[in-house]
Amino acid sequence: MATQAAPRPAALPWLRLDRLLTRLGLIAFICAIGYLTIVPLIRLQYLALKNGAHSYSDAYTRTGWWQTVRWTVELGLGSLAIALVVGTGLAWAAHSLPPRLSLLRVIPILPIVIPAVSSVLGWAFLLSPHPGYLNQLLRLLPWWHGFDGPFDIYTVPWIIIITGLALASFIYLFVSSGFENINGELIEAAQVGGSSRAGVFFRVVLPLLRPSLVYGAGVALLLGLGQFTAPLLLGRSRIISVLTTDMFFATQQIPPDYGLAAAIGSPLLVFGIFILFMNRVLLGDNTRFITHGGKGGFRQSAPGSKSAAAVIVLYGLLSTVLPILALVFVSLSRFWTGDVHFNRLTLGTWRTVTTQSGVMPAIWNSVWLSLAAVAITLPVGFIAATLLRKRREHRIAAPVLDFIVAMPLSIPAVIFGVGFLMTYTARPLVLYGTRWVLILVYVTLMIPFSTRMQLGAMAALGDAYTEASRASGAGPLRTNFQIVMPLLRPAFGGAAALMFVLLTHEFAASLLVRAPTINVMGTILYDYYENGIYPLVACISLIMVGVTTAGVVAAMVLGGGSDAFKRL
Amino acid sequence: MANVRIRSLTKRFGGKTPTTAIDDLDLAIEEGEFLVLLGPSGCGKTTTLRCIAGLETAEEGAISFGERAVFDASRSINVPPNKRNIGMVFQSYALWPHMTVRKNIGYPLRTRRVKRDQAAQWIDDVAALVDTTPLLDRYPAQLSGGQQQRIALARGLVARPELVLFDEPLSNLDARLRDQVRTEIHELHGRLGFTAVYVTHDQVEALALGDRLAIMRSGALEQLAPPDVIFEEPATEYVAGFIGMGNRLVFERHDGAWWLDGERVDGDLDGIAAGSTTVVARTRPEDLDLLEPGRDGAGPGALAFPVTVLDAAFGGRHLDVAVTTGTTRLLGRIDAGERGGWPRTLERERHAVATVKPRDLAFYDGDDRLVSGVGRAVGAGV
Ligand SMILES: Nc1ncnc2c1ncn2[C@@H]1O[C@H](COP(=O)(O)OP(=O)(O)O)[C@@H](O)[C@H]1O
Ligand SMILES: [Mg+2]
Repeated sequence: MATQAAPRPAALPWLRLDRLLTRLGLIAFICAIGYLTIVPLIRLQYLALKNGAHSYSDAYTRTGWWQTVRWTVELGLGSLAIALVVGTGLAWAAHSLPPRLSLLRVIPILPIVIPAVSSVLGWAFLLSPHPGYLNQLLRLLPWWHGFDGPFDIYTVPWIIIITGLALASFIYLFVSSGFENINGELIEAAQVGGSSRAGVFFRVVLPLLRPSLVYGAGVALLLGLGQFTAPLLLGRSRIISVLTTDMFFATQQIPPDYGLAAAIGSPLLVFGIFILFMNRVLLGDNTRFITHGGKGGFRQSAPGSKSAAAVIVLYGLLSTVLPILALVFVSLSRFWTGDVHFNRLTLGTWRTVTTQSGVMPAIWNSVWLSLAAVAITLPVGFIAATLLRKRREHRIAAPVLDFIVAMPLSIPAVIFGVGFLMTYTARPLVLYGTRWVLILVYVTLMIPFSTRMQLGAMAALGDAYTEASRASGAGPLRTNFQIVMPLLRPAFGGAAALMFVLLTHEFAASLLVRAPTINVMGTILYDYYENGIYPLVACISLIMVGVTTAGVVAAMVLGGGSDAFKRL
Repeated sequence: MANVRIRSLTKRFGGKTPTTAIDDLDLAIEEGEFLVLLGPSGCGKTTTLRCIAGLETAEEGAISFGERAVFDASRSINVPPNKRNIGMVFQSYALWPHMTVRKNIGYPLRTRRVKRDQAAQWIDDVAALVDTTPLLDRYPAQLSGGQQQRIALARGLVARPELVLFDEPLSNLDARLRDQVRTEIHELHGRLGFTAVYVTHDQVEALALGDRLAIMRSGALEQLAPPDVIFEEPATEYVAGFIGMGNRLVFERHDGAWWLDGERVDGDLDGIAAGSTTVVARTRPEDLDLLEPGRDGAGPGALAFPVTVLDAAFGGRHLDVAVTTGTTRLLGRIDAGERGGWPRTLERERHAVATVKPRDLAFYDGDDRLVSGVGRAVGAGV
């Protein structure tokens, strides 16, 4: 009811224009992200549905299709089961550690830091039927003999075990960061109430964590179903294929059949989107869950347990130390025969690695492309997080943005790889053959991480600082530059380092979108693996580990610290 | 500028439990006035303040500063907070931890593009005003709560805004500091003459600071008046209860006498009741006295009725005694007297006579309308 017919203040038209521009900017931003995360998927479906969806009928009637689906499901569920048991066990062990061994808590996170290719290859060197180091050792035991075995890494169960051990890290992260957000008094109340520590863990803590555990399990299942590296590298000799590798081979046949690849990937796509929706339904407005839970966490009340330390050390041994040792040995051998002759070890491969064709450019590409992608993703994530913080102001835009930002997290990278290949070999943007495709695919894959981490940091920061700035007369820009960004600097450092680490690992999408002349560490590794030059492969794997470690150290120095990995 | 008009303001929050935080609120704040928004937690004070600041956008209504409309839902006007030229002091202080105190205080001057040397002068002035000059080069994390509060105050005042908003600025301080800073805010307002809107749930703070108090209830105004009027003539029982009149007495007339919950009342209320058979009265614990049964001592015209003691707590000069009559529970704050005196012997199950003077009661009729305020009770049969 405008009772007063007051003359309109002069500032008004300017304000209107301001608002219009803001809205246009918002739409442009959403479109740009949507172009990255959604358009490739749509193009794929378009291709698969063309000509009466014959790609679908082709894909689903090929011989071996149902076997592939079965293997995929087995891999997904099997690795999830292993991951849940091992991951929760690790979290339990980590919280029962004696205080002076609390540093061991980092160990279960290492598999996220070690490139998947490296650890898979390390395992291949350990458990290859004949020359695998571990197999040879086991054959020395009296009850195992024969030429091969006892274990064969190139089989489905071992692919599942290795994947499960790696995914255990994720479950560990979910459960243990959940601990820290639980009000410590809640747990103490249960302890005072007479529960044993194990009783508290299984009867109080785990039920409290159920929402995030269910979500974590969903994510782990997605990762298991979308697993590419282990099935590709280990499934080759027995022709074990899962959906992701099947897709890859469809793009590698001559001529490549992208429609077929798209059709093969569709079940993963559908399942990914399903999990995404379930997550929203289960957790609701997830911003409420990211906040720092005050004085959370456990205080040690009982003396720590030595066996807990042993469990963690054993996991570290299996998931990290043994594979890396195997890599080191192979890299120091002339050939990979499995013989361990300490006196014949040679630095030969290491001396020549830099002169091997393509190796140095691949390393530089990995580093620079990752840095470039990080430099782009960080501000993009900042803007996305800022918009998502203002959910109430952007009733339509925020959920849309939330969805398209989360997309790359729930869709396997292989699908994005094929989608990008499709999208950027055709107009309007023909980028195939340039480094830009890699950068764009990296940006796309990292958008969810960048956004989530910054959103978490902003939520922890709260609104008071920005509101105080606005009330002091500062506009949104000044507020962001002088208040928000300086305060978020540790989060920026952590997010940047994490993304750098994940990107220098990147294998699946890189393998698909690379041009023959542009390699990154993961792809050159694959090429040499295909050609059977194992000492060199081991060398490059270790270099990847080194680059990654540098990234982690940078994370610590830049201030995100070990927290960076928990903000996921 | 600097008088503030709020017209028909309505603000709702959605979500799982939709609430109407502000419900058709009308309020006018005069230039230079110190207005206190008072009410229990959750009644919409903060939301109102944030709407004035522009940090929250209402669904309906209008807000203007002088001639300038800063918000008008029907005309889609919503001036952002930074263009409203206000100062604000937050409950959590919200001092930016990465800036020194000097930078924190100077920030509103930088945003207003005040020249460097003038800004330096103003910062020094305001720091001297709130007595924090030695702290200027420290970081907020190195300050105590009281010091942080003063810096927050300085930051809100430094740009000499015509309107300063306070959201429970003292609630995080301990009791002694609270009194001290409250006095300082009062002095500063007297000296600088800004218009102030001050949110609190503390009646002592409200009475001490406000030129007028706006008592809020469920997002609407219950009473708007100067503190002495609120104190003496609380317009409704809600206001009375909130302003400290916790004792509620329902008097009924039958059988030729006045009764309180089944106990006969010694005294006369006919003048106030003006023909009706029920009156509700409110009074403060300080105004309820207790006498030994059978002893005389009630003042002339006082109402007296028998009570049973529930609990007595020693408070130094006074005793806080909880008593019942029928099912009515009352609190009395009585003189502790001397050691060994009768009041000190009070304990559970003891009987006593409660007395209260009609002039210390606020009376309400059946529709929760004030019939007679404190100090005005007439015709009580003196
Ligand atoms: N951001 C919000 N979202 C949902 N409800 C809110 C929000 N802020 C306040 N409210 C609700 O609005 C009502 C008034 O809140 P508030 O103005 O903070 O009260 P006060 O400051 O008087 O304690 C309360 O019922 C509160 O729950
Ligand atoms: Mg409040």
